Amino acid sequence: MLGILSRRFIVLLLILLLAAALFGSYIGELTLVNGHAIVAGFIADFLRYCLALLTLLIIASSVAEDYEFRQFERLLTMPLARWQYIAAQTLLIACLCAMMAVPAALLVALYSDAATGLYWAAALWMELFLLGLLSLLAILSLEKIPQAVFFALAVYLFAKLSGLITLIVAESVKMSEGSVASRTIEFTFNAILFVIPGLDTFADNNVFFVDIGVLHSLGVQLLSVIVYATFLLTVCLVDFYRKEFNL
Amino acid sequence: MRRTERPMRMLPRPLLVGFALLFLLQAVNHQLGRERSEAIYHPLTRPFSAEVYRGMAMGSFRLFGYLLSLRLQLHDNQAGQHFRYSLMNYDLLLDWLETLSDIDTDSEYPMLLASRIYTQTSNPERLRKILGFIERRFDDNPQLHWRRLAEASLIAKHKLHDLDLALRFADKLAKQPASVKMPHWARDFQFLLLAELNETESAIAIIQALLQSGSIKDPDEQRFLRGKLSDFQQKLFESQRLPGK
Repeated sequence: MLGILSRRFIVLLLILLLAAALFGSYIGELTLVNGHAIVAGFIADFLRYCLALLTLLIIASSVAEDYEFRQFERLLTMPLARWQYIAAQTLLIACLCAMMAVPAALLVALYSDAATGLYWAAALWMELFLLGLLSLLAILSLEKIPQAVFFALAVYLFAKLSGLITLIVAESVKMSEGSVASRTIEFTFNAILFVIPGLDTFADNNVFFVDIGVLHSLGVQLLSVIVYATFLLTVCLVDFYRKEFNL
Repeated sequence: MRRTERPMRMLPRPLLVGFALLFLLQAVNHQLGRERSEAIYHPLTRPFSAEVYRGMAMGSFRLFGYLLSLRLQLHDNQAGQHFRYSLMNYDLLLDWLETLSDIDTDSEYPMLLASRIYTQTSNPERLRKILGFIERRFDDNPQLHWRRLAEASLIAKHKLHDLDLALRFADKLAKQPASVKMPHWARDFQFLLLAELNETESAIAIIQALLQSGSIKDPDEQRFLRGKLSDFQQKLFESQRLPGK
């Protein structure tokens, strides 16, 4: 995965930063009041979603290459345990996320202030790291890039839109006067929520507009990320140890 | 193994001609569609509830509220054309303003749009609706919205010529508890309304007082008010220079 440190990756990152700054300035031209906060918030979210997608694609394609070039079979002939492969991938995901979160946070700090930039660096790193692990789990299990990207993206969006889905499900139960079908959907959805990260696992964009209590927010996010990341790693290990590789 | 590409001239001629024709057709179709939509004003649609927008915001509901406010602000500009506010359905507009205020109760953007943009209508009934919205929403957060109510009071006097309504707004400002921090002149707004000042003189007095009070921290708003102040001063200067005015 260290191959990601290519010139193409750096150019892509620079293009994203430039695009964020350009779109941000356009938004800034339109605002009547509170322009700085709106621009900073917009740039932060624009970069968050672009980098999330990039993280997902990089990790999925790099592990897919390991499958394609039969790296796992080669690794198994070495004195390496399977958990060491997962540990190495986790470390690389952490480095990759730092490489993406730091420049993004620097740009955000330019449009807001150093403290907010620092918060965004830490919070965005945690969000990308979690998404990276989710992507690792998806590609290890599904082995194909399209399926893995679709699965990881679906879980990410499901977590992000859980509030809206809860609202829709609750409304449908009300409108159908509690029919069995809508109750079943509600039950299924509520059950899925148990294995999906909550909104407090992600960076809070409201930091650009009000005082959210940065340290408290980071603490809550860190705790949620530790719990969920450990859960994902365990699932990764279970899945990876169950796999048969024909030497 | 690296895959190379064959040169374009090796492709079947009917395929190339077909490609060129379809490309042209697509460009013409796009242009015709744009011309058709340019001439038509697309009215506002009914907004969803604030909870739906909060859910759609994926956690960034304050930013989403601001972006929706910008979308509303730009509604009168469609396909590069500016449409008159008279085309706008003010009931739907009020629905939007209410929803935007509910999405983020700490945002002053919907109130700002109401007091600075949508009060530009010359229809008294519509103006009354907008002023009603400002009065209603002022109670949500008097600390954030006192300036909008002061502006609404001025508009009620000079645009609507309804001194009673203007005084009611001013009275509401005066009755705010001491915990709501606003300059003394805002609490004594009735006197300014009762003074024999015309619209331009009143506006100059208010903007100068606002800028001097230091209550405006936002650089965008400061710039906007300074621009307005110089416009009003120029207007006053010209009206005093012209004989018979």
